[in-house]
Amino acid sequence: MESKVLKPILAVYVGLFILFLYGPFIVLGILSFQQGPEGGPQFPIISWSTYWYQHLFGLTPPSRIAPLPVGEALIRSLVLAFMTMVTATVLGVMAAQAFRKRFRGAGIVFYLIVLGMMVPGVLTGLGTSLLANNVVGIERHWWSTAFLAHVVYTFPFAFLVMLAILNRFDGSVEEASWSLGVSPITTFRKVTFPLIFPGVLSAMLFAFTLSFDEFPRTLFASGRDQTLPLAIYGTFSVEIHPNIFAFGVMTTLFSFALLSVYGILMALSVRRAKKMAMQEDIA
Amino acid sequence: MSAATSNRDKSNTFRLLVPGVVWMILFLVAPIMMILYVSFWTQTTFSINSTLTLDSWKNFFASEAYVGALWTTIRLWLIVLTLTLLIGYPAALFVGLLVKSKTLSTILLVLCVIPFWTSFLIRVLAWRPMLGKEGAINIILQKLGLIDSPIEVLLFSELSVVIGMTQIYVVFMVGPIAFMLGRIDRNIIEAARDLGAGFGRIFWKIVLPLSLPGVVVGAIFVSVMVLGEFATSGALSGRKVNLLGNIIVTQVGSLKWAMASVVGVILTILLGIVVAGFLRIVDLKREI
Repeated sequence: MESKVLKPILAVYVGLFILFLYGPFIVLGILSFQQGPEGGPQFPIISWSTYWYQHLFGLTPPSRIAPLPVGEALIRSLVLAFMTMVTATVLGVMAAQAFRKRFRGAGIVFYLIVLGMMVPGVLTGLGTSLLANNVVGIERHWWSTAFLAHVVYTFPFAFLVMLAILNRFDGSVEEASWSLGVSPITTFRKVTFPLIFPGVLSAMLFAFTLSFDEFPRTLFASGRDQTLPLAIYGTFSVEIHPNIFAFGVMTTLFSFALLSVYGILMALSVRRAKKMAMQEDIA
Repeated sequence: MSAATSNRDKSNTFRLLVPGVVWMILFLVAPIMMILYVSFWTQTTFSINSTLTLDSWKNFFASEAYVGALWTTIRLWLIVLTLTLLIGYPAALFVGLLVKSKTLSTILLVLCVIPFWTSFLIRVLAWRPMLGKEGAINIILQKLGLIDSPIEVLLFSELSVVIGMTQIYVVFMVGPIAFMLGRIDRNIIEAARDLGAGFGRIFWKIVLPLSLPGVVVGAIFVSVMVLGEFATSGALSGRKVNLLGNIIVTQVGSLKWAMASVVGVILTILLGIVVAGFLRIVDLKREI
């Protein structure tokens, strides 16, 4: 049988494929332990050291290599990602909630929202900065124009996640609540929201990480003050040192920490839902 | 349902939609319209005014560098699209169809997505120590005795941009294809096999057609991202490869808003043609 031969070959192929995806990052991880400050961003490793990690936190004696300008940029990126996360998730939940009922023009509204994630960042960024700079005549900042562009990008993701969740949602529990005389707002807070919470959490995770890592839109739409991706981009044009590799490893660890928090919150909400279901069974 | 509740439903839907729709119109549609409008503005050395003119458009098509960037963008897009499909499809075939266990298939997909938890720019930068003259690939090839002197075209060339983009975007091709392959009813394949069809015939007659919507979705993802690229080409080509995106960045950097807008409009048209073309191949609404 041909597929008997094909399967092992493809298994090996997938192994190589994953190596292709991870290869550069493995090399980067290894080189982040290069000796400092003489060691360059290439092989061979002169001797293993954590010099560049210390360099990142300003723990090394001053050398000719300037520390990465990431401190304030990191704070800005975190604040911006947080603002974007809250706004995009609220807009996403609202819009997806509206889509539970059929309405005229639903198709157009759907495409309008999804357009936000399809249009390349370079175009959204250019347009936003044109509008701010040449028409409205305001200065561009990471917390104003860049924030607007970030929400345009992340709102569609939050919307699609919520749409997927609400599609599987049983509306009869809400109707039961309404018919018992509970106001729509209280119903949403007490009945709907706890049920869609896992979706909200996923939408928040999407919005936060996408905004935190957003580069093209921010490049155009933010002003002087740099966010983290802009600070990293700034180091590209000059000579690179292994400190940027150490920084890459650190940001990846940060992402995994974020992912763990998401996982824990998700597990807790699933457990709470199970507990409630059990109580109902007993009653 | 009475007319009153239906009206209340309507106004409720309306209230829920307004914030999002207004946001998208003001900060997405209006900016893109602005690009079109400003592309006809008059550019002087230090400023720009709203007197309408075709000068920037004429300048674009008169400049070899700009028209060259358009062709480079199209060429790189076609190369990267072909490579992501050729490299991604077999991987998707294994993950989506050949792996029997659902758990293993999920684990493999998650493995493919994990690199996305590293900053995009760091992922681009990671190719430098990989491809450089003293990079990992050259060292390995030299140790194996396959080459005598390091291959220099690996870094700061069009090749390095192609390699970098393929690695970064191939997963967007694998995901949708694996998804569509996973939905194929295995009984159809069994039936075809029982009727004596070989693997090749099953692949061309059943598997490939049924996975086509996945290919189209993947191709749209990859195309949109590659056509709008400028960071990978900037960082891995040493400014030798200029895409439309790179032109926009340099033009905005020197406050040439009108020219940046012309390039923006051309990029938008190119994207529109590409996406519309793909959507003609498969009716996505019917398939998904």
